[in-house]
Amino acid sequence: MALRLAFIIALCVLASPGIAQDRVQVVTTTTDLRSLTEAVGGERVAAVSLVPPNMDAEDYQPKPQDVLRLKQARLLVRVGLDYDLWVDRLLAQAGRPEISRGGPAYVDASLAIAVLELRGMSVGPGDGHAHGSGNPHYWLDPKNAETITANIVEALARVDPANATIYEANRQAFLARLNAKLAEWEAKLSALKSMPIVAYHNSWPYFARRFRLDVVGFIETKPGVPPSPSHLAAIVRDMRARGARIVVREPHEPERDVAFVASKTGAQIVTLAASVGALPRADDYISLFDVNVEALTSAAAKR
Amino acid sequence: MTDVIQFLWPPFLVAVCLVGIHTYFGILVLARKVIFVDLALAQIAALGATVAFMLGHSAQSMATYGYSLTFTLLAAVLLAFTRAWGTRVPQEALIGVIYVVAAATAILLIDRAPQGAEHLKQILTGNILTSGLNDVVVIVPLYAAVGLLHWLLRRRMTGAGSLAWEFVFYATFGIVVTSSVAIAGVLLVFSFLIIPAAIGVMFAETLSRQLTIGWIVGTFVSASGLAGSFVFDLPTGAAMVCAFGAALALAGALYPFLRGDRQRAMRSTIATVRWIGAVILAGSAVQLAAAPRADQPLMDLAEWAIPSLRTLYFTRAEATTYADASEHAERYRREAEQLNETERRNRTQGEALDDFTVARISSFLKSYGEMRKGEQFVVGEVRARARERVRWSASFGLLALSLLIAPLRWRWLLRK
Repeated sequence: MALRLAFIIALCVLASPGIAQDRVQVVTTTTDLRSLTEAVGGERVAAVSLVPPNMDAEDYQPKPQDVLRLKQARLLVRVGLDYDLWVDRLLAQAGRPEISRGGPAYVDASLAIAVLELRGMSVGPGDGHAHGSGNPHYWLDPKNAETITANIVEALARVDPANATIYEANRQAFLARLNAKLAEWEAKLSALKSMPIVAYHNSWPYFARRFRLDVVGFIETKPGVPPSPSHLAAIVRDMRARGARIVVREPHEPERDVAFVASKTGAQIVTLAASVGALPRADDYISLFDVNVEALTSAAAKR
Repeated sequence: MTDVIQFLWPPFLVAVCLVGIHTYFGILVLARKVIFVDLALAQIAALGATVAFMLGHSAQSMATYGYSLTFTLLAAVLLAFTRAWGTRVPQEALIGVIYVVAAATAILLIDRAPQGAEHLKQILTGNILTSGLNDVVVIVPLYAAVGLLHWLLRRRMTGAGSLAWEFVFYATFGIVVTSSVAIAGVLLVFSFLIIPAAIGVMFAETLSRQLTIGWIVGTFVSASGLAGSFVFDLPTGAAMVCAFGAALALAGALYPFLRGDRQRAMRSTIATVRWIGAVILAGSAVQLAAAPRADQPLMDLAEWAIPSLRTLYFTRAEATTYADASEHAERYRREAEQLNETERRNRTQGEALDDFTVARISSFLKSYGEMRKGEQFVVGEVRARARERVRWSASFGLLALSLLIAPLRWRWLLRK
């Protein structure tokens, strides 16, 4: 009896908020933001991402457990720019004003990012202003990690002020490591200079700008809409004319259309990860770039 | 032009093969009144492939095909029984249930394997544009074998046979649908199945004539859908489905002319057109009177076609403001586009733009967006106010026009 009682007490203690609150519970929408949150939070945060790795975050279907995760979260980090609109409905259900838009523990990581390809209007709920939504794949420029982590650290300092200096120190250490890597990636990718590339989906403008890659066209011009014959013909013609030898796809994108274009032009298909976890070895923010740089340079070397 | 033909002839060839077998099955399916059975079978085959995928087989392996086939055959057994069961509940209801349960089960399964979502999508949304000779090589012998089997068993496939013959029908149909859906997608396969067959059944009595009409119509509509998708730069599958829909509508409209009293058909067509016109005008009149600031589809369409119509009800000041604001909105759009283009070019050409310049471009783009939205608001507001001013007179005019067009027998009404 005594043993059983002790066991129950031990379970209660383990499950009690006292222990759980030792680490700041952070919910992020994507795995990239989870990795960056872990990089600045270190041992002091427990981050979960709502979208599992290798799933398209733009069409994620939330599950009941996600509301529960938001109810327990002390901080929410999202991509913004209409990329993860579904989280707004989840937040309304969770009913937690502090992690909702405008609350102290709500982080829109796109704040202060220099957004590329802004055109048209945002479709998301907002304050009625015309924030053109722009291309949302900004985490694929490693330099933007500076801004993203700054946004995260600022909010972490608000919810856990006692450890604010530790978070900033972690961030500095991470950025130093990242900058060293950035120089290495830039050197490796300089081999792809003036080598035109075609991508399935327009996920790569930030990546292309940072590493000066020439992405000349996309197979899918609007998400979810199959390409028209004249568009495909134009892509193939363009690739032949410019000697494009590389077609980039992400693991969740259809193989058929990419293989069709590649077979018409004799190009190689290179599978890149646009998010942490999309490919087996891309398990954190830095290895994400390692894997992509490796895939691109080995494809370029094969020419 | 050679470019176009080079691109479009393989999908056209595939479409001809698909029309060939599906028109035949379509006629049988229409006779049995099991219209959605192809969706159910395709979904079951996808469920089989999903199970194979979960067990670690790759998408193109024989094992995956085996699972798909086994699931399809099991579903064929189930479907063969549905006619016997479907005495109190319609058979079509049971087929619908098979479809939704198979679809939901596949979703539950792939929820455990994230990369499976795309896998499932690929089974059910083929793209006929990227199909080619490698597909033709597979489907021609398969469809020929199925066609031959049906020809040999033609006396048994009437739908009145025993359970075993029902099973043969659903099993062969399942095999055909599984391969065609992977090539052309669910929407297009459904159109191939139902529409040429329906047109054939409309205009002929014997199977051979129905088939001939279906094949000719199907081939012709496929070609025009493919050509239309190229000329108007549209996604191919969706353009073909709409072309088939238009063909059916046209056949329906022509039916009374080809199969009945032409003069009566002519009279009733004219009356119908007049009624439609009258209802549209009356509806627009009510909409304008009740909510002048809301969208006015008829007026918007007319003004889009003939912009000078606006001068009929705009004051001079309104016309100037309207033109000015539209012009500014367009200018901001162009400037934003130019900035985007400059930034894009600089990713690879010349000196790279530094981060500060890119941030400035980005904030300029945001401002242009705001300014453009402001101008568009002015455009909408000017038009709404002008419409509010003329709401009563204009809606009265539309209503009068509507009464004029409507084929009412005025003399008869007045005498009463």
